[in-house]
Amino acid sequence: MQALHDEGVELIFGYPGGAALHIYDAIFRQDKIDHILVRHEQGATHAADGYSRATGKPGVVLVTSGPGATNAITGIATAFMDSIPMVVISGQVASHLIGTDAFQETDMIGVSRPIVKHSYTVFNAEEIPKIIKEAFYVATSGRPGPVVIDIPKDMTAPDNLFDYSYPEEARIRSYNPPIEPEQNQIDRAVEAILISKKPVIYAGGGAIASNAEKELLELNEIIDAPVTNTLMGLGIYPASHDRFLGMLGMHGTYQANMAMHNADLIIAIGARFDDRITNKPSKFAPNAKVVHLDVDHSSVSKIIEANVAVFGQVKNSLKLIKETLEKKLDSYDPFVLQPWHDQIKEWKSLHGLNYELYKDESDDHPILPQAVVQHVHEITNGEAYVTSDVGQHQMFAAQYYHFDKPRRWINSGGLGTMGFGLPAAMGVKLAFPKDEVVCITGEGSIQMCIQELSTCLQYNLPIKIININNEALGMVKQWQDMNYGGRHSESTYQNSLPDFIKLAESYGHVGIKITKNSDLSESLKKAFAMKDKLVFVDIYVDPSEHVYPMQVANGSLENMWLSKDEQT
Amino acid sequence: MIKRKLILIMENKPGALVRVVGLFHQRGYNIETLHVDSVKDFSTYKDIEKKLETKFEDNQISRLTIETMVSDDLMRQILRQLNKLIDVIAVSNEETTYLKGVLLDENLL
Ligand SMILES: Cc1ncc(C[n+]2csc(CCOP(=O)(O)OP(=O)(O)O)c2C)c(N)n1
Ligand SMILES: [Mg+2]
Repeated sequence: MQALHDEGVELIFGYPGGAALHIYDAIFRQDKIDHILVRHEQGATHAADGYSRATGKPGVVLVTSGPGATNAITGIATAFMDSIPMVVISGQVASHLIGTDAFQETDMIGVSRPIVKHSYTVFNAEEIPKIIKEAFYVATSGRPGPVVIDIPKDMTAPDNLFDYSYPEEARIRSYNPPIEPEQNQIDRAVEAILISKKPVIYAGGGAIASNAEKELLELNEIIDAPVTNTLMGLGIYPASHDRFLGMLGMHGTYQANMAMHNADLIIAIGARFDDRITNKPSKFAPNAKVVHLDVDHSSVSKIIEANVAVFGQVKNSLKLIKETLEKKLDSYDPFVLQPWHDQIKEWKSLHGLNYELYKDESDDHPILPQAVVQHVHEITNGEAYVTSDVGQHQMFAAQYYHFDKPRRWINSGGLGTMGFGLPAAMGVKLAFPKDEVVCITGEGSIQMCIQELSTCLQYNLPIKIININNEALGMVKQWQDMNYGGRHSESTYQNSLPDFIKLAESYGHVGIKITKNSDLSESLKKAFAMKDKLVFVDIYVDPSEHVYPMQVANGSLENMWLSKDEQT
Repeated sequence: MIKRKLILIMENKPGALVRVVGLFHQRGYNIETLHVDSVKDFSTYKDIEKKLETKFEDNQISRLTIETMVSDDLMRQILRQLNKLIDVIAVSNEETTYLKGVLLDENLL
């Protein structure tokens, strides 16, 4: 505990059990670090993850051995896929019992190996300070990620005393993530920018991890390129900026996907050309050169070959590109981009996001999920922290809640973990108690970590839960509609949904149900007016609505479904 | 696809070997041969010691030789993935070496 305090940890999410009891006793006997008792270890990992995404600081989790550790696995994998810094301390059976199938023994290091950045086992109690120092360094540096520390029970026994001192810095000779890019790489990137007539900036989660929003904005004041963000990158470039195209990829906007497909230069910043972005890689952006800025060597030229690779913290790389470009401004004329901007404007006007084009809020129609997100955006002035789960509601939130700041949009992009939203919102609310925290979820996802409503009561976390209730596993159903002849195999619940209002009330919170368009705005305002209450807003929406645009499988980026019967 | 040889040196720590082998398994790369030695003679690694500003001690370092059947593109990806493992100090195919994130156009191993 002393080592965690010395590391600057203020908050731990956890759940006790036999192998962690010595540590829990130490928690009881100190008052510097707060511990949040969740209701399921998965909740602890997602809460720590949400805390980390919103603050940029590492999230810390403490669980016991065996089932405690395995329950944490989904959350560790979620953080790993999205490169979120997290340190997970798992109790382990005592050293002399390891390998004997002792009670609650699981090989946590083995089980978690493919989904951690690194892991440690404590073999000597004296090593604890050094291991903790190293674990935080590894988790937060380079391309961040989760680190597991497995601690056998005897290592934390109160009679296992040693001379304590906390190392000032961690130095690992076999680990040295790039920080400053090389100037010759920068020069080549600048050359490519200078000759481009159709550039697009494509920024992802790595740009957020590197806190590069200022550098990106400043660089693009010179280049003046259109900018698109991945699902993980939303907020790194202000959505209200003229040059913003919206999200790209599977459910990206028409103009973002068209711009990428037709670009002559793609400047990728902390993004990894994942299959939800590229569609079929061999058909991806046929005429584009690629300049790729990343901190991770293995992300560059993995799926799309980069013509110029710039390794380093993308924040530093962007700054250096700007400085180098400034010296060559004589040979750069941003007006050559005008035809490109005109083209993009035309794409935008042809097919904006569907719902923005045909608004109809009379009671003759069921509520549309997009409308829910738009109202939430309006009521919160676009300034809320929004967590989400996985499914159609997640895509509607990403498309229609226009984020102007980074670290406000908090969702599981890489793993797509249903159940993430509520615990993540707890982590955010604990970090920013005065800010509005909204969890936009679906009736399927919310039931995967619903037990955390109890945690919210214990620690008084007045989150607003917006349950976009389409009475189905909507995204699954959409795929079944589009690819499986409308056969809705196991994607509906046959009237078995709980009464979410009573459920919220039984956990000590407030529930509000909305079924009509004419109630939507007023009832939502009422919910948000209850500042110190967790309000569960259960909104029945049109179950037949699909998410569009949607890329046509195995096509190029310009092949999209724009509505149920319209294809590009 | 032809048979290729990879050499890597890494910290002799518990779990380090499993991470290397696991990486091959997880991504479906097949290992044809695998040879592990604890390094006693550090004379070949003087350059690396200098570059890392460190001194290797007895029993600290293992040397792995792995033969695998892969294409060129995959080979590069494997090198980069191995280089990413925290305990791996350097990894090399016949032409290039990754020494902790830095790509060198020579075979240092
Ligand atoms: C843990 C987990 N299991 C299964 C899935 C596959 N999956 C993706 S979206 C989805 C449906 C989600 O339903 P709901 O939360 O109601 O959202 P909707 O799509 O209806 O808005 C499912 C089952 C997943 N992403 N995560
Ligand atoms: Mg649903």
